[in-house]
Amino acid sequence: MRMGDWYDRNAFWLLPSGAVIFILMLMIYPLGYTIYNSFTDWSLTHGDKVNFVGFRNYLDIFFRDDRFWGSVGRTIYFTGLAMVVEVILGVLIAVLFDAKDFSGKRVARSIMLMAMMATPVAVAMVWLLIFEPTAGVLNYLFKSSGLEALLGGKQLWITDSSSVIPSLVLIDIWEWTPLIALIVIAGLATLSREPYESAMVDGATPFQIFFRITLPMIAPTIGVAALLRLIDCLKTFDIIYVMTMGGPGYSSETLNIYTYQMSFQYFNFGYASALLVVFLCLVLGISLLVTYLRRGLEL
Amino acid sequence: MAKVELKNIEKIYEGNVRAVSNANVVIEDREFVVFVGPSGCGKSTTLRMIAGLEEISSGDLMIDEVLVNNLPPKDRNIAMVFQNYALYPHMSVYENMAFGLRIRKIPNDEIDRRVQDAARILSIQEYLRRKPRALSGGQRQRVAVGRAIVRNPKVFLFDEPLSNLDAKLRVQMRTEIAKLHNRLNATMIYVTHDQVEAMTMGDKIVVMKDGLIQQIGSPLLLYDHPCNRFVAGFIGSPPMNFLEGRLREEDGSLLVEGEGFKFVTADIHRDDLGKAPSPNVIVGIRPEHLRIAGSEEGESILNAHITVIEELGAEAHMYMSRRADDTENLISRVEQRHDYHIGESARFIPDMEHVRYFDADSGRALLGVIGPIRMSSRRSALSQDE
Repeated sequence: MRMGDWYDRNAFWLLPSGAVIFILMLMIYPLGYTIYNSFTDWSLTHGDKVNFVGFRNYLDIFFRDDRFWGSVGRTIYFTGLAMVVEVILGVLIAVLFDAKDFSGKRVARSIMLMAMMATPVAVAMVWLLIFEPTAGVLNYLFKSSGLEALLGGKQLWITDSSSVIPSLVLIDIWEWTPLIALIVIAGLATLSREPYESAMVDGATPFQIFFRITLPMIAPTIGVAALLRLIDCLKTFDIIYVMTMGGPGYSSETLNIYTYQMSFQYFNFGYASALLVVFLCLVLGISLLVTYLRRGLEL
Repeated sequence: MAKVELKNIEKIYEGNVRAVSNANVVIEDREFVVFVGPSGCGKSTTLRMIAGLEEISSGDLMIDEVLVNNLPPKDRNIAMVFQNYALYPHMSVYENMAFGLRIRKIPNDEIDRRVQDAARILSIQEYLRRKPRALSGGQRQRVAVGRAIVRNPKVFLFDEPLSNLDAKLRVQMRTEIAKLHNRLNATMIYVTHDQVEAMTMGDKIVVMKDGLIQQIGSPLLLYDHPCNRFVAGFIGSPPMNFLEGRLREEDGSLLVEGEGFKFVTADIHRDDLGKAPSPNVIVGIRPEHLRIAGSEEGESILNAHITVIEELGAEAHMYMSRRADDTENLISRVEQRHDYHIGESARFIPDMEHVRYFDADSGRALLGVIGPIRMSSRRSALSQDE
């Protein structure tokens, strides 16, 4: 009886304590350790003692490292392009799915899921074959459809520094647009029909209904989907790593790839930790900004 | 303002599901007509067909003598107030009301004048800048009504607009919509499942059941002269009491008797009851027409025991049963103070001139239906007399 009382009084912290310990071990500790490392010159390339260097790594990153700024630019380019296209396409697909009842709608929705279910490395391998400039499927299709002549020759896709990021974005769009579409389809399904009917009675055209009623009403859902993609795009690693390793040159080296190179190619753990902390702040900052903007717009 | 005519309107959904059959109604200019009936009776479908939100399977819908079957909602010059308000959540109250006018490219100063006017009528001036989510249910419904008013339509359509409000607010809004009708002098068509709303608001009531119009008439006409057992039971609260009985002649009088009662029919009903297709009838007595006999003797008496007494102050509702197992709920509305208790047996005297009779098989009224209605030759529906 007494034991039961003690349990009732303390269950509120006892029950979640397992999860709390788990989170502490797997999230808080690595984060703290990374922040600590970022203030050291820990490197495996020399056998020297690890020294505390204060903010030197950060100062180097911000004021002496052009490669860092280049990777930041490419991260923003990749993320911006992928997100904008994915959101527009995703919303269009969702609206088409919502508006029309056609046979095979469920099957089509399941097929959309398949791209997301594939493992990124497998996706990357398949797209490597597709993008291959001489024997790839895409250039074959371009050639046979006459597009190649129109574009003035063979496309180099990921082997050319100017087209590598748009090519990688294309894969991201292929893989992740369905996610936006599915989230927006779910959002559309929760909307009441009455405002639409009311707008019809009010005299609105389908075009006006879409832009003045539907879009503002699903804006919060689109916002959530976009935020998810934003965070994911900023962090994209696997596809780029498998397909280009950041190349040609540094032309597809995003911040994540650069950090990876710094730690596991150059074994410069102190500097790489500082890069990771900067990266974390960047992702956190952009996410908070988007969330704040969403609230500000009262969406 | 406008006259709306439904001529043989039918709605048949896929799989030959008939939602509305052969609806004939004439809604005069500036009339307030209420469609009432239980869930699934076709009243909302009828309203949506008038609005243009539902295709008409067959029949003609005329607004101001113009056939509008194939006109889209926006070209019918109607405005509709929905059950769930249907406000645009991302727009302010002002923009919600102005939306329909902006779509029609009405100049801004005219929009402002109309929105302010409507806001004044509905006492929502102070909420114009708010978003709908910052309003209570009653305020939202006012905005929905306001959105209809600013359009200045020929016909107002209301689809159960008060269903989501609490009881007190419902009564208040009921009065306000009735006032609005007097003020705007507009043709209004109102759909509800609540017969009290129908009785209190409508100039004319259309009672529907299973997609068929049962009866059309003024509230009191339906109350006093229901055309069948369904209308009799649906209109009126507390509802009419029904007793199964059998007609027979005795000593020159026409009696109706059944379990626990024996009534002598009123002389004015004799001719009609004489034409009854079968002696098996349902006797319908409104609760206010069944009074406690006390020591009074009468030739028409109902014996029952009291199961529940609801004291309402000015009156009491006495629930009773003729059977020992209390399986029925007959109700008497007793206005005088009484000294009865639950479980006691009592004798009740009906006001025989107000008793209604229905055929036990078809449920049709056996007394001549008075007023601008007639029995339809097709089905059991009644339609309006020209």
